[in-house]
Amino acid sequence: MIVVNEEPLDWHEGMTVRDVLRAKNYRFPMLIIHVDGLLIPKPDYDTAAVPDGAVVQVIHLISGG
Amino acid sequence: MKQLVIDFAKCNAGRDCAHECEMECAVRVFKVDDPAQAALQIKAYEDGGGHAVLCDQCGDCVVVCPTEALKRNKLGVVMIDKKLCVGCYMCIGFCEKDAFMRNSDWITPHKCTSCGICVKVCPHGALSIVEVPEPAPRII
Amino acid sequence: MSQLVFDPTKVMPIDYTKRTEYLDGLEAFKAGRRVLKEIAYTPSLPDKGYNNRTLYVNVDSLEITEKPVTQQMKDVFIGGRGFGLYHLWNAVKPTTRWNDPENEIIISPGPVCGMTQYAGTGKSLVVSLSPQTDIPIDSNVGGFFGPLLKFSGFDALELQGKADRDVILFIDGVKGIIRVEEAPAGPVDSHVLGELLTHLYAENEADLPNVSVVTSGAAAEHSLIGMLNFSFYDRRRGCVRFKQAGRGGIGTVFRNKHIRALVVRGPKVAGDLNHPADPETIAKTGVKYHKEIREQDPHQCMMRRNGTAHIVEIMNAYDLLPVHNFQFGSHPDTHKIDSSYWQQRCTQATVDGCWYGCSMACAKGADGVVLKTGPYQGHMVTVDGPEYENAAGLGSNCGVFDPDALLELNFYCDTYGICTITYGTLTAFVMECYQRGILNLERTGGLDLTWGNFAADLEMMHQMARGEGFGKIAGLGVKKMKEHFIRNGWGDPQLINDIGMENKGLEYSQYMSKESLAQQGGYALTNKGPQHDEAWLIFMDMVNKQLPTFEAKAEALYYFPLFRTWFGLNGFCKLPWNDVVPADNSSQPEPQKVPEHVQNYVDLFTATTGIQITKEDLIMQSARVYNFQRVFNIRMGKGLRLHDAAPYRSLGPVTREEYESRAERYDKQLLDELGIDPTGKSTEEKMALHRTWRTDRFSKLMDSVYTRRGWTLDGVPTLARLKELGLDAFPEVVAVVKQFT
Repeated sequence: MIVVNEEPLDWHEGMTVRDVLRAKNYRFPMLIIHVDGLLIPKPDYDTAAVPDGAVVQVIHLISGG
Repeated sequence: MKQLVIDFAKCNAGRDCAHECEMECAVRVFKVDDPAQAALQIKAYEDGGGHAVLCDQCGDCVVVCPTEALKRNKLGVVMIDKKLCVGCYMCIGFCEKDAFMRNSDWITPHKCTSCGICVKVCPHGALSIVEVPEPAPRII
Repeated sequence: MSQLVFDPTKVMPIDYTKRTEYLDGLEAFKAGRRVLKEIAYTPSLPDKGYNNRTLYVNVDSLEITEKPVTQQMKDVFIGGRGFGLYHLWNAVKPTTRWNDPENEIIISPGPVCGMTQYAGTGKSLVVSLSPQTDIPIDSNVGGFFGPLLKFSGFDALELQGKADRDVILFIDGVKGIIRVEEAPAGPVDSHVLGELLTHLYAENEADLPNVSVVTSGAAAEHSLIGMLNFSFYDRRRGCVRFKQAGRGGIGTVFRNKHIRALVVRGPKVAGDLNHPADPETIAKTGVKYHKEIREQDPHQCMMRRNGTAHIVEIMNAYDLLPVHNFQFGSHPDTHKIDSSYWQQRCTQATVDGCWYGCSMACAKGADGVVLKTGPYQGHMVTVDGPEYENAAGLGSNCGVFDPDALLELNFYCDTYGICTITYGTLTAFVMECYQRGILNLERTGGLDLTWGNFAADLEMMHQMARGEGFGKIAGLGVKKMKEHFIRNGWGDPQLINDIGMENKGLEYSQYMSKESLAQQGGYALTNKGPQHDEAWLIFMDMVNKQLPTFEAKAEALYYFPLFRTWFGLNGFCKLPWNDVVPADNSSQPEPQKVPEHVQNYVDLFTATTGIQITKEDLIMQSARVYNFQRVFNIRMGKGLRLHDAAPYRSLGPVTREEYESRAERYDKQLLDELGIDPTGKSTEEKMALHRTWRTDRFSKLMDSVYTRRGWTLDGVPTLARLKELGLDAFPEVVAVVKQFT
């Protein structure tokens, strides 16, 4: 189990940041992601591992009109 | 279209070159006594190699110019019409080669027009004007 | 789900230079004009962003005068919306209503407006007493009119009086002539009139980009939701295009004053006409920003490809896209009207941007649209947009997922001079009333307004333009329709009030605020009414959970409305602030404020005016105008807590279907937030529990926000707050507030 934006999410072996975004349907292009407090750069979303018990923060910026 | 190219096998920029190309461009084309205002900039490295900021006439700036101040002439060279320019500098910001120049004293930006003045003064024969096919306009 | 990738090979091969022309009547129109008044004046260019004079024109008495811009005006009101509110305050009395001759329309560009080096610097603000809300409305608009007005010598244009016949105001900023002409019979709709007048007043073809016109349209005359079109000449397309001052019915005021058009002919634009204090800083900041757009936009919002429509699919994915009058947040057919379609349908191989130097270039256009209905049936036109608000408002909110129908609705809203946001929300309301039997075929005069029936939707709009039938009733807007339906006994008053999405008389714009308390305040606790230009906090609040307490929400509802007000004081557009962000924004403190861009704005203001400010001063500049506007509302008999009330549809689920569409979320909230086990309870019981809880927390939010803003719990700015802002220098302002102490 991990926590994403203060909500629980099932964890699986080999889970990446991209998997978290897919599971939450977070498809907004301007995100700031921290895994256990560590900033994950956008190019690393596909590879950055999310360990079991991680606290993930996915900050959505603002856009639109 | 006419394009200015540099051959770093011949360019002597990193050794004892006086950068005649830049000075000639600044003085003859832009009428300023400052090589930093030239439309080409040759950066010399310690090891003798270098990097050239040159306009390759790719035409990206033509695509982004809001006033059609930038157009290709008969030779395919991108020219600026100062009467139409509104000084927005999108040409500078969208140039991937950083080859569109700006001088604090002028409101309109400036660029290389493949005129070849620099070619004639290069003591090492490193610069030349070549004829290459004009690329299709991109969506930018 | 992954981000959309732009594929240039999929863009439809449409000739963007072809469209129906409307110049046949040009000579007759030219000859049919009659000069009512002409004066000579001395044109000027701004010095450090200001001309230091404004232009007053009374279209009835034909008085034309220049007024000085005082130091106090610049210090307190800056320009733009500030100047508009200042002039309007001096022009009207508390008893003045929108259609009284003393009501004004003020157009003011702001000191930075007209800069060509940074994105989004061509905006002007239009201010008037709104026919929908009876308080000041302000609308932020692009196009060339504002900058060209400034380069003709004026920091604002005040229009007062009411002509008895249609007039055209022409300002020639090159020759120094101001002329009021009687307009001959002829076109009113913007796409025809705009083209005709641009060609009529330009001296030659090269002069076309130096002419800008302000027009409205036929539907503005017969409704309260009229809008103003501000033109700009698109050189590559060879056509006149428009940006809209949409909200609050200013187009209706314009036509009520019998103003057919405003025309300005300015000097040829150059990069230094503002005569800024520090051009070098402006140049450097501009180039830095253009590079950022080039490097980041293709990987972020793709504003250059999609414009604001890029968030259609985003809102759908987050259950925030208004569907069927804000009942639901997503729809399976959304893909038909999202940006994956628009980026193929809109012309890409050209330059968009509604003022020079806008590298964000969100003003997309769909060319080669052949109209299927109405007076222009068969004509080929260019449609501006669709922007997000139009796709959501005219589209999903009304169940219209046919992109051609959406373009046609968008086109007719524009040329008829009505606000797309307002029209979308009022049509969604009408369609829900139809669904629930509040309306029926007999009451609509035969319009079958079922969800998605765009033929009936378009017919309602054509009726609005003709001033006929149910279209005329719809054109009164949601608030007056609610009163009308209730008066006629057509349905349960509470249901009608709950589902009519208006606050202060203005229709909501196209975001779902139901699941974000902060955004409920972001809409309802606004000065002019529920428009997202004050605050958009849904992600911060609902998705990121960054605003967990009332205090945190109140802080956001203090900062963002003030920050965003500032754009409208200066002539900036909001979009370049946060629709692209620097590569290192994620490592900055408070990244949602986009600190580097905030600094850009501080630098651009200082470099233009020569007045040193900090980012804290920026908020203070806004706070003066924002609080002045609140007091103005109170002076007009509104602006109190009761006027900030929100329709329940914006706060929570009104109907059974709405509750059940999100039952899991709502049940969980009962358990987590209220400590009530939902098991065994009926939907109606659970809805009632939610209603009490949600209404109560909205009330608590009001308390927190008012307190943070320095207002009483009745929503009145305190004397102490006015003193802090220096507004106690205006005895009339103090007098309004004193009644409440």
